[in-house]
Amino acid sequence: MTERYSFSLTTFSPSGKLVQIEYALAAVAAGAPTVGIKAKNGVVVATEKKAKNSLYEQDSVHKIEKIADHIGMVYSGMGPDFRVLVKRARKIAMQYESSYGEAIPTGQLVQRVGAVMQEYTQSGGVRPFGVSLLIMGMDDGKPTLWQCDPSGTFFPWKATALGKNHINGKTFLEKRFNADQELDDAIHVAILTLKESFEGAMTEENVEIGICNDLGKFVRLSHNEIKDHL
Amino acid sequence: MARSSSAGFDRHITIFSPEGKLYQVEYAFKAINQGGITSAAVKGHDTAVVVTQKKIPDKLIDSSAVKNLHVVEQGIGCMMTGMPADCRSQMTRARYEAANWHYKFGYKIPIDQLAKRIADINQVYTQNAEMRPLGCAMVLIGFDDEGQPRVYRTDPAGFYSSFKGTGVGVKQQECNAYFEKRNTKLASMSYMETVQVAIKCLSSVLSADFKPTDIEVGVVTAANKEFRMLSEEEIDQYLTSIAELD
Repeated sequence: MTERYSFSLTTFSPSGKLVQIEYALAAVAAGAPTVGIKAKNGVVVATEKKAKNSLYEQDSVHKIEKIADHIGMVYSGMGPDFRVLVKRARKIAMQYESSYGEAIPTGQLVQRVGAVMQEYTQSGGVRPFGVSLLIMGMDDGKPTLWQCDPSGTFFPWKATALGKNHINGKTFLEKRFNADQELDDAIHVAILTLKESFEGAMTEENVEIGICNDLGKFVRLSHNEIKDHL
Repeated sequence: MARSSSAGFDRHITIFSPEGKLYQVEYAFKAINQGGITSAAVKGHDTAVVVTQKKIPDKLIDSSAVKNLHVVEQGIGCMMTGMPADCRSQMTRARYEAANWHYKFGYKIPIDQLAKRIADINQVYTQNAEMRPLGCAMVLIGFDDEGQPRVYRTDPAGFYSSFKGTGVGVKQQECNAYFEKRNTKLASMSYMETVQVAIKCLSSVLSADFKPTDIEVGVVTAANKEFRMLSEEEIDQYLTSIAELD
């Protein structure tokens, strides 16, 4: 429909850096804090969801989204960019299942989403995505947690923090992480980590929590469930 | 590295600035206020209302042709605020998306899906350099599948959300503050009260006494889910009833 730029906007600087990607990471670091922790029997992600004023209906838009029955995704950074990646990830998951007749392993999904994000750092006339993703999944009973960056790089984590104050968040997690802890304990640690970067009181209204439980299913916790954990 | 990228193009097209911001998107927000218009939308117990200022730039213009409230689909109305041509473009696109959905899937597009679609289109403009973001904000009102009134707002950044009440344009902060003060009462307001609070909000933040020709008002109610624009007589009645309340 529209004429496309035929050249990439993300080009090398004289020192060999791709500055647009670095700026995209700056946009991520300015985003709301997100935490992910892998437990022995599941994975948990928690994210701050502050509305600018009380007129927002918080439940109309979610930050933690289901990609497949066993995979969930959350972000730090620019919300609209996240929606695009959710759509793509869902399609990738469905196409895999349609081609191969089995649920997509989380690592495969992450690789493909990473490839999409990389496309936008090299294609003509587009800017990189301003989000870092945390993708969590249960593959045959094994919990996995991955981070996907604007550059298209992905890392598997035991526990990590994104967004504002992520360096402190990661330090906090390093001290608190225990590979043998159960999912409930991991949820508790995730909430504590989030509290470190939280301004004001934390309630079930300004926080979203998602888990992959030992049944291999992704579930977003309801307000009441979050309240219990708090 | 403190110098800006590619000889300062980050202010001209939608690429990241060194701080990770998109200047073009921020400027698009400012463009919404260029027309000097303020609008507001609010929902009550079984009603959703949009109200906007009607500024006629020239006395020779046919005022009945100046409209910022439009029907997108039966049951969904929209209020456009911002640069007039961008508003028209986005409104027409919304109509197309709604009609396309109806054709493809055989049922009317739910209001939240339409808001999401428009917001996703706005996001594309923030990521592709060849198209600038549109300098307009769209507010959609209608009923959802559970029979509840809804107010959705999309902006040039590609963000969208459902609201209890919202302001758009020059005095949007003041409108938001006005609704926030009445937050707990909004959910139980009747049709009349909802229309009144919307009009009162606008006249309060603009410190203006409206004539019926100064504003446009559109409603959806449980009794009549079709988006309807109030006639001059009806607006006059409301303005009188508000004046009597004070």
